[in-house]
Amino acid sequence: MVLAEQETGSAVAAAALIAEDIHKSFGDLEVLKGVSLTAREGDVIAMLGSSGSGKSTFLRCLNLLERPNAGRIIVAGEELRLKPAKHGGGLEAEDREQIRRIRARLAMVFQSFNLWSHMTVLQNVIEAPIHVLKRPKAEAIAYAGEILQKVGLYDRRDYYPAHLSGGQQQRVAIARALAMDPAVLLFDEPTSALDPELVGEVLRVIRRLAEEGRTMIVVTHEMGFAREVSCETVFLHEGRVEEQGPPEQVFTNPRSARFRQFLEGNLK
Amino acid sequence: MDFTPILENYQLYLKGLWITLQLVSLSLVIGLGMAVPLAILRTSSNPLVNAPVWSFTYFFRGTPLLVQMFLLYYGLGQMQFMIELSQQLDFLKDAYWYALVAFTLNTAAYTTEIIRGAIEGTDYGEVEAARACGMSRFQTYTRVILPSAFRRALPAYSNEVIFMLHGSAIASVITIIDLTGAARIIASRYYNPFEAFIAVGAVYFCITFTLIGGFKLLERHWFAHLRPREEVKAKGRTKDKAQQVI
Repeated sequence: MVLAEQETGSAVAAAALIAEDIHKSFGDLEVLKGVSLTAREGDVIAMLGSSGSGKSTFLRCLNLLERPNAGRIIVAGEELRLKPAKHGGGLEAEDREQIRRIRARLAMVFQSFNLWSHMTVLQNVIEAPIHVLKRPKAEAIAYAGEILQKVGLYDRRDYYPAHLSGGQQQRVAIARALAMDPAVLLFDEPTSALDPELVGEVLRVIRRLAEEGRTMIVVTHEMGFAREVSCETVFLHEGRVEEQGPPEQVFTNPRSARFRQFLEGNLK
Repeated sequence: MDFTPILENYQLYLKGLWITLQLVSLSLVIGLGMAVPLAILRTSSNPLVNAPVWSFTYFFRGTPLLVQMFLLYYGLGQMQFMIELSQQLDFLKDAYWYALVAFTLNTAAYTTEIIRGAIEGTDYGEVEAARACGMSRFQTYTRVILPSAFRRALPAYSNEVIFMLHGSAIASVITIIDLTGAARIIASRYYNPFEAFIAVGAVYFCITFTLIGGFKLLERHWFAHLRPREEVKAKGRTKDKAQQVI
């Protein structure tokens, strides 16, 4: 957890996202037992862990799709104000306006794409910029065009999601997230629902975003991707950060026995 | 078979047609307007919100439309306050309004359940995506949940519209001269029930198929996202329209 300070001294000033001591329980099951994470601007953080380790839950706590039981969340210098939820079951946003604003700064890409099925590709991409960010329509369409070009789907802009392959749908979902100009991109297992031959096209897009200097937190099972693209790798185990550091160090010389086991299981 | 009395009295049929169309379209429009908010309340997990709507829909779906209309028209008419009130307000003596209220509440109940089912069938991931990009609850409903629910509800709703058209025939029982009412008058005046009701059946038939055709067009337009890509492409018109919408 201290490793974040290794690279630069001025880490805190340019933090795009700080999550402190996030706890989350589902009933009696404690899924997150205090997870902290800092993403500085331009960081690509890969989160690894076996299923049930809490990595997706952690990501979903950041934008309050799940209610954490305790913890602090600071996005681009703005702390999310939390209060205990009325009917129990964790913390909720004190101010609805604020959580909406913060959610708009934290774009999320889901495992199962979650594109709006009744809208075309272009409509999916311009929807939130127009209705959440209140951008003028013409501007949103022009910007969406650029982004769709970048993910290689400009010629499919009038297609409906059902007419696209899984890989194409996930690229549209990435375009939809980019259209918000987010401070941090959250990827929740973006390639886990894809056929093996479609994983590559999505990873290529994410890799390009990393090269552009986007701040990203990527929950993934793709070891090679985490190793090559991330600047920090975090391994979660049973709701705790078990191993954390630059990938070259973490992958070649893991300190935790569990992470070593995890790697062996994955590399076979 | 002699249809001359019907042709001679075509004006009576036209008037009846006008009343039928009024009753059906007004009750459908108001009923749909009521059904959307009711359906949203019905999906609430709070029993205080959900239960009253549940009781409403179960009463109106659990009893015949004719009984509901009798309750309003004859039942209310038995009440002292209604008798007094109708002496001041003339329109309360007109059976038309009782039929309209009964039809409206009845179709509202059915439509509420149709839309509730469609709302509950919304892919939860799409709702999460809306929340995750910062949409308010209201926006999530108007931009994502309802547009997708209406599409899913359309086939069931087109049945409801046709049931309502046919159900409206019972308005004739409480003295309203709708299409069926007109036929009953002709049948008793000329003693030709066969011809009178064949003629009126043909009119209902035509309205029904016009409605079915209309819903087919709507489905074609709204279901482009569910059809195979080639078909959508072939319908250049639909695609152009979709672009205009953007």
